[in-house]
Formats: sequence, C-alpha cells, structure tokens
Amino acid sequence: MRQTKRLEVPANAPRTTASRWRDRFHRHAIRLAAAFVLVMASPASAHDLISAAGFDEPAEGPYNRDEAARFLLQATFGPTRPEIERLARIGYHAWLSEQIAAAPTLHLPLVDTRIQQMGVDHVWDGERHEEWFRAAMIANDQLRQRVAFALSQLLVVSAQNGALEGNPTTLAHYYDVLVRNAFGNYRTLLEEVTLHPAMGQYLSMFKNRKANQSGTIRPDENYAREIMQLFSVGLVMLNPDGTPVDQDGNPGNGIQTLPTYTQDTIRGFAAVFTGWNWSTCVRTLGGPGQPPEDANGDGEYDRWWEWEFCPIDPVANTNWKLARAFRTPMTPWQIYHQSAGTKQLLAYPGVARGRVNAQGVLAAGGTAEQNLSEALDNVFHHPNVGPFIARHLILRLVTSNPTPGYVQRVAAVFNDDNGAAPGGVRGNLAAVVRAVLLDPEARRPTTHACTGPATGCIGKLREPLLLLTRLNRAMAGRPTNPNGVWQEGWPQGALAQAALRSPTVFNFYLPHYALPHPEVAGRGLVSPEFQITVDTFIVRTANMLEGRIYWQWLGNPGLPTSGSWRPTVIDLGLDTPIADRPDQLIARYDTLFTGGTMSREQFRLLSQHVANEPFHNWRPEAETRRVRVQDALWLLLVSPEYSVEK
Amino acid sequence: MSWMRRRDLLKASLVGTVLSGSALSLFPKLALAENAARVLRGSATDYRALVCVYLYGGYDCFSAIVPIDGPARTQYEDSRRGTGTGPGGGQQNPSDLRIPSGDLVPIYQDGTTTPISQGGSRYGLHPRMAPLAQLFNQRRAAIVANVGPLVRPLNLADYTAGTVPVPAQLFSHSDQTVLWQTPRADTSARTGWGGRLADVFFASNPNQNLSMNISLDGENVFQAGQSVLPYFVSDTGVEAIRAVGPGSWLDHRRNTFNAMLARTHAHPFERALAQRIRVAEDVARELEVVLRNDRNPANDGFLDDTYQPFWTAYGLPWQRLDQARPDLPRLGRQLLMIARVMRQRVPLQMTRQLFFAGIGGFDTHDNQNADLPDLLGDVASGIRGFHDVLNAVGLADNVTIFTASEFGRTLSNNGDGTDHGWGGHQFVIGERVAGGRVYGQFPHLGLSGNPQNAGWGQIIPTLAVDQYAATLATWFGLPDSERDLIFPNVQHMVGTKVSIQGPNLGFMQPFA
Repeated sequence: MRQTKRLEVPANAPRTTASRWRDRFHRHAIRLAAAFVLVMASPASAHDLISAAGFDEPAEGPYNRDEAARFLLQATFGPTRPEIERLARIGYHAWLSEQIAAAPTLHLPLVDTRIQQMGVDHVWDGERHEEWFRAAMIANDQLRQRVAFALSQLLVVSAQNGALEGNPTTLAHYYDVLVRNAFGNYRTLLEEVTLHPAMGQYLSMFKNRKANQSGTIRPDENYAREIMQLFSVGLVMLNPDGTPVDQDGNPGNGIQTLPTYTQDTIRGFAAVFTGWNWSTCVRTLGGPGQPPEDANGDGEYDRWWEWEFCPIDPVANTNWKLARAFRTPMTPWQIYHQSAGTKQLLAYPGVARGRVNAQGVLAAGGTAEQNLSEALDNVFHHPNVGPFIARHLILRLVTSNPTPGYVQRVAAVFNDDNGAAPGGVRGNLAAVVRAVLLDPEARRPTTHACTGPATGCIGKLREPLLLLTRLNRAMAGRPTNPNGVWQEGWPQGALAQAALRSPTVFNFYLPHYALPHPEVAGRGLVSPEFQITVDTFIVRTANMLEGRIYWQWLGNPGLPTSGSWRPTVIDLGLDTPIADRPDQLIARYDTLFTGGTMSREQFRLLSQHVANEPFHNWRPEAETRRVRVQDALWLLLVSPEYSVEK
Repeated sequence: MSWMRRRDLLKASLVGTVLSGSALSLFPKLALAENAARVLRGSATDYRALVCVYLYGGYDCFSAIVPIDGPARTQYEDSRRGTGTGPGGGQQNPSDLRIPSGDLVPIYQDGTTTPISQGGSRYGLHPRMAPLAQLFNQRRAAIVANVGPLVRPLNLADYTAGTVPVPAQLFSHSDQTVLWQTPRADTSARTGWGGRLADVFFASNPNQNLSMNISLDGENVFQAGQSVLPYFVSDTGVEAIRAVGPGSWLDHRRNTFNAMLARTHAHPFERALAQRIRVAEDVARELEVVLRNDRNPANDGFLDDTYQPFWTAYGLPWQRLDQARPDLPRLGRQLLMIARVMRQRVPLQMTRQLFFAGIGGFDTHDNQNADLPDLLGDVASGIRGFHDVLNAVGLADNVTIFTASEFGRTLSNNGDGTDHGWGGHQFVIGERVAGGRVYGQFPHLGLSGNPQNAGWGQIIPTLAVDQYAATLATWFGLPDSERDLIFPNVQHMVGTKVSIQGPNLGFMQPFA
C-alpha cells in the first residue's frame, strides 16, 4: 500500500515544504491502517507496540508516532518502542513536565556501587563509562541525562588528562553537577563547575595563587580564559540572535568582529580565580593558638608546602577514588587570593553591579568567595550568554545550522523565562531546554534548502556515541554480563567519542567546524561532528556496527558464556516476525531510527534489499528472517541519509 | 591542465568563488589525464614529502632551547625561578621551572665545535631532547627562532599603540592553531597552507584516488585546501569495511551499500558524507594491500628490521613479531605509519605528499616540571627514529620534517606552569636542511626591560609563520610566481622588525 503511494511521485523529485508535510500525514494514515491489519493478522509480540493501533493525539502534538520518535531522538538517548507510544499518548508538554520533575539519576552512586562490588582497585574510567551507559540506557530521567551530556560538551573536563584519567569518582561527581543542574539555573551551574575539584585540576584553577611580591609569579590564566571563551560568552560580541556584531555595520566589507575581552580581562579574571585548593588541606598556621601565617611579612604563607601538598582526605591512606578532596567543592585560602588591586572584568552595557563599576572593573579588596561571586555574576549577565548557550544546546540536541531567529527565540527565554512578560528569571535551563525542543524549527522544520547560514538548514551529523545508544534503545539492548554490567567502557576506539573523554577542552569538535566541502564550508554552513567523522572512524564505526548487529544479538549461540567479555546484545526477535513483509519492516525502522524522515529512495533500496534476500530451502526460515533484519539494520545505520539527522 | 589554468583556479577560489559540486568531481579527472603524460616523462622519481609534527597545546620552547650562560641565562633565571624558596617540608618547590645549566645538551654551529651563541649567551637543548641535539650537531636539524603568526611585522610600540594589525584572537588555542596552520593570519579562513599547497600540487600525483595530504592525527586546518581534503590513517594501520568485503557471498549487501552511496541525496551533509565514505572505503582497500609489502606473510610481524631505529630511539627492545614487541608512544606510532606509507610511494604512485602527525599535552599551565620532560622526550625520540629510518630506506633527501605549535608560552610563571604566549622556536629536520644553525633571533628572556614583551612574557615574534611555511613550500617545489597566492602576507615581512628578510629564511637547501 505504502509502496504504491510512493510510486506516485518520482523517487528524487524535490518536495515543497507543504507537500512534505501533506505527504507525511498521508503516510501516517496509511501506516495506521496497515497497522490495524497487521495487529489482527500477526502474532504481535509484547514488545511490538509500535505496530499497535492508534492513539488519541494530544492537542499540541506529537500527531503521530513518527513525530514522537523524532522528538525522542532529540530529547533522549534514543526512542524506545514503549516511549514512542507513551509520548504519543501524553503529548510533548506533559512529557517535558514529567521529565523535568523526574528525580535525577546520579552517576557517582552507581560508580560507588561498583567499587563496593569489585573493590576499589578494579574500578577505573571504563567502569565509570559503563555506568554512564547504564544511565543512558535505562534511566527514566532521559531528558535530564541527555541535557547533562550536552552540557558535558560545553563545560568540558576529560579523562584524557593526566590528573583525571585515573580518577573515575571525581569525574562521576563532576558529571552529577551537570545532571543535578541540567534544569537548574546557569549561574548556579557555573559556580558549581568552577569550584569542582575535577575542573580545578583540568583547567588548573586548583592551587592557582596570587602574584608574589618580587613579581616572578602571577596568576594562572587558564580557567580565566576558558570560562569566557568556551563556557559563557565566546570570543566576539554577539547579536541577540547569535550572529557576530559587525563593528562598522557594513556587511559589504565582511564582518568586522568585536572582541568580547582583552588580555587585561583575562588577567583580571585570573586574579579573581586565585586562592582555591582542596577542601581537605591542613593548615598549621593562622588558626586559633597557631603561629601567624606570614611571620616575615613577605606576603607568603610560611609553610607553603601545606598549600602545595594537601592531604586528599582527613583519614590517612584513603584511596584517592574515595577521598573527600575529589568529591567536595574547593575551599579558599585568603592569603593566596589576590585581593589587592582592581580587576578588569567583562565590560558591556549595564555591567555595573555590586563592586563592579560601569567599565567592568571590580574594586580592589574582597575575599576569594566575594570576588568569585562578583566575577561569575559579571560573566552570567553578559548579553552573549543567552545566544551562546542557546546555540550550544540547539547544536547538541537539534541541528547544526539553526536560523538566527531560532537562536534568538531560545536566547530570549534564557534572558527571561517569562518570555513576552518580562520579570522572570535569567538562566533557567529547564525553560531553555523546553524552548529548544518545542521551537517550530525543531518540531516543524520549514527549510531543507541549506543554502547558507541565514536561512538555516535543518540537520546535523549524528553524534557517534548516540549511534550506539539509539541502536540499543531501539532494539531493546541488554547486558549479557551476569552481574548486569553494560560492557561499554571504551566506545571511543570505534566512535571517536565517549562521555567525558574529549581530547581537549575544545570538546570532540569545535562548534564552528566547517567541512572543507563546497556545499558545507563553501556555503557558510558549520558541521561540527564532521570533525571526528574521518576516514578511520567511518570504517571502524561500520565495523563496530557489524559486530553489534551480526554477532551481538540476543540468543546467538556463538556468544561467550564465560570469561570477562560478556557483551551487550540487541533483540532482533522484536522484528523477525515481520521480516517477510519488507515494507513493514523498513517503515518500522523509519519511525524508530529516523523519526519518519526516510526518503522514498532510501526506503525503496532497503525494502528491495530485504525482499531480495530469499527464503532458501538450505537454511531455516528463522535464519533468513534474522539476516533480513540484520541487513536492514546495518545498511540503514551506515547510510549517509541515516547519519544526517533531520 | 596548464600551470596557468591551475593558477587561475587558485586565484578564483581565493577571491571567494567556490567550486561547484560538479566542477569538484570533474577536476581530478582532468588532472589525471594531464598527469599520465607527466609520469611518462619520468617525474615519478622526484619524490618530495613534508611532515608536520604538531605540538598541541602551545609548547614551552623556553624550556626546550635554554640559555646556558650569559645575560640571557640571568634573564631566564629571574623569569622562571618562581617563589625561589627551594625545598620545604620535605618537598620540592613546584614553582621553580628552571632547567639547570649543567643539564642542558650543548649544540654547535655548522657541525663545528663552536657553541651556538647569541648576545653573549650559549644555548643548549633540554636534556630529554638529546636525540634531536645530535641531529642538530650533525647539521641535520635547524632551529627557527621566535616565529609566530603575524599580519605585518611589529614591535612593542606598534603593539601597544594598536597601530599595526595583529592576528585576531591571539593567545586562544583553537584560533591560534588555525593561525599557525593557515597562510592568512588576517582572515578566519579555515584552509591551511598545506591544503593550499595540495591544491597546487595534487595534480602531480598519478594516483588521484589517494589524497596528497595524509593525517595521522585526524582533522586539522593545516591540510585542508579549497579542493583537497586530507585522508586520515590511524597509527595502527588501515581497516576496510568488513561487512561489504570482497567475498562473493557479500555481493547482495555490497550492491545495496554501493547503491545507497551512489544515489542522489537531498541534503548537502549527506552528499558530503557519501563522498567521504566512498573515499574511505576505496582508499582503505588500496592501502590495505600495499601495506602488506613490508609485512611477513607467514606471521604477524615485519619482514625485516627496517623500523628498528624507532624502538632504539625510544629505548625499547625491538622484535619483528608484533606480539613480542612493545608499543611505541603515540607520536612514534604515527611517524612509523608515515614511514611505512612513504615506502609504498611507488605502488601508490605518489610523488608529492604532506603528512600530519600530532602530539598533545603541551598546555602546561600546571605541573610543568612533571609533564613537560616526557613530552619533549617523545618528540625528540620520535623524530630521531623517523629520521634514521628515512636514512636507511634512502628517503632522507626527499623528506623534510618540521615542528609547529600554536604558540610559545609566557616567560612568566604562574606558580607551577606557564600560560599562553605568542612567538616560539621550531625545529626543521632532514638531509636537505641547512642544519646546525639557528635562523632568526632568540628573544630577550626577562620580564622587565624586554623589548619584545607584549605582557607577562608573551613574546612578539620576529619571524612570521608565513616565512617559515613559504621556505618549506619553496623546497617542496612551489614556484615563486605562485607563492603570493598562497602566502599573500609574506611579501610584507621585511624591515627592521623581522630578523630575516623576505619569503625565504634560507634553512632549506634547494632540492638536489
């Protein structure tokens, strides 16, 4: 039935937006009708909800299962069959409210449980990632987990770092800061991130000290630079829609950008971010009944080694994976804080606040805590933050080239969560996430033209790690490890991506990376994920999928039944019952994997492929059914069309 | 296609005309036709390759090349001493970043016994860079001093007054990485000079399937051209897509796979990705075959001991059998793979190649004393092993290795490390390098009274990256007539504010 419908239009005929949506509604109606017939005619499995009969469409959408699945591709680690039905039943708004209210699934308790089970010497970053994967697979707070993952690509710390690679618990604790604050306020998140010992080590704010009197030492600029460049405002002044401000307002001579800060600003923030160390330091000077901190008056703490070499826990010989220093915020030492002297912070209209004047200069004096608070307020209220965060979340959740209008609408919600009626709160991430996902451009994209950045271009190359989570969630993946461990500790060998394992603070890809291709960079479009989709990983990803689909399937008698390698498997049995009906099978995968965006041509190729994999006398029917499902899955998942989410 | 026509094309793309998809796909075929004739003339023996060893993070050149004595030593001691308290509480003071004079490895002028000396100070290399110092002393390596991205030459007064244009976003990693790799420090173009060279030269390679630019370290701006994309090889070898392998039982699946790649796609990302997948798959199969030439078909191991120098340089035991041999550090693995690909230049039909290898971790804001020595050691040992292998296989005259890094670091000290700087020193290695010399001027190393201190010991460069790059490109074969198209700013690098005049710094001997 569907095939007939598709043949009415030439396979590659361009479709107008209106016809595209009309077409989708037609297909929906056809599919519903087909589903009724199928449910009656076939022994549907308990999991086979996707073919089940219709539902009451919520007023605000989704209006069909394709739309529901497409939303879940953006808002979760991948649609599951039951979740498509549930979202379709309750609607976007109720689903979002429920997700925002859901209790956070925290990662450190999961890692600590592994430590209890396996012993502290056997838990490393692989185990942390296995628990990350568990949460991605089965946590009910999917939206929160997905947003936390997006934030982990903004507020980057990484295990690919000497100080953090052997410390899975501090990384899990850091990730929980992102999880807990995913729907909180960005100002709170920024402060918790700044004072976290993992960030302190990663960007060396930890033990950053004031200048000494002889002038041979001055504050470390690392965190000062990156909190501005990467976490909040970026390098150049932005318009409310995220486009760069053109200094001379004359587009004819190109964009003359306006830097957001100068080297003086970096030095100002560097001075602010001084004096912080582990919460567990022991000080034997300056306290009640103790000698003074600086008896000789050279401005230095006389027992400097107490600052440089703190114990990591009050209890001697505590394993570092359990040590308090790595799971509590850093605490200040006033003597190492650069209180003296004014500090240039960011300057922008309306900057005067607290002890910061209209030129963005923080007055001299103040404690480490006071100055940190003033400086974070100064960053947080910069007009760039709204469009900067909006663009980041849109790029991670929805599309690589949002229109300026989309960015502006989301930024407006960041600036004031009351939207049209100002007076609300700035930096409310729950409201921002809602705005990202419910924006017309996310839900009903109106342009596929992709002619340039101004008109937008719905679509992004899928993140490699999401390929893995989506496959497993769509195919009811499960561990075969007898202890229920998802053995997904090291996916980056095939995918070039793993949670909290970016090669640098610049994440896996730069937000403005543009593939040097006439139709990408040549059109002014950006394509961040292409930066890691390089030859080696294209091949490895395809080969990893081969293993997952042709070998790691539930019931495969060739799977190991002993030893330490007990892989995750997918359940092909969900779909083998319809393997004799190629159009049904591909339509189901169109919903599950592409949210109903599959082109006619792609549909035809896959459906014909399945149909042409014959039932032979020389092999059992069950095997042919399985091979059909496997080929459909593998071919779909390695195809260029699937790889570009739309 | 004539030189003139390539030149026009290059010019056209510089002024912003972008090749359409169809022109892009036609171009290699035209070039291929032309090059069939060129190969018949025997140019395939004229092999030249450049290898960029990129030190990610901004490496602290002031710890790599250090004054041994004299005024520069005094300046260096002041800048890098930290709190100067010495040990306390049974601990070393991590703020003391000085490398003791006695630990430095001396380097000598022109293969003589005259120490390298500038301004009354002798200079030596970090103790872990001894393998590179030996190459320098054999005149196989040169140092290019205080080079960095510039739009126009400038001094401190110009910088302070803001009267001379400087590259945007100085001191930012991501942006200065681009600046170091791009031929235009005054634009935000995301093409690199290696890529632009490849735009000019790719037609010289009879094999138009394999990109002229091969990266062992993933995506980089250096190798991205207007029409040439780098090809990425992993340091463990080449893998092809197994599920559509050559076996006849895979015909059905392979046919659908190929049909999916060949079909018309609606989205530009899909078209770009389809092209990438196609190339990845084709080239992987091609490389997979030729890379068996140095392997023993009877076991998992190498056929002979050609690559032993890598293991020697890293102080590791060599065995032909893969299983019996310890892994090289990552940079060593990348350079080994580059050597292996170079050895197959004849079956691969490559006459001009640009390789990119990278090593990260140089952003030593903290723990510099703990982290930097191993990194410098890795670089020196890897380059040494690579050079020795090239010598053994007769390619040392044909290959030039050069280092690059987004910036030098600050002379000043932040308590246990250094921050982002500007100018830095680089190494060039190869038989055609006019080695045993320092090109350019080592800067004053003090924090006060330093005429090049843009602030806290960020050093204003006295040579431009464009000059450094143009010198390498000229050796590679870039005619002077094409130079200004790729390096439009290099013509401005003259006057008293640069230490060497013009587009050729002189560290390369003409190709023999």
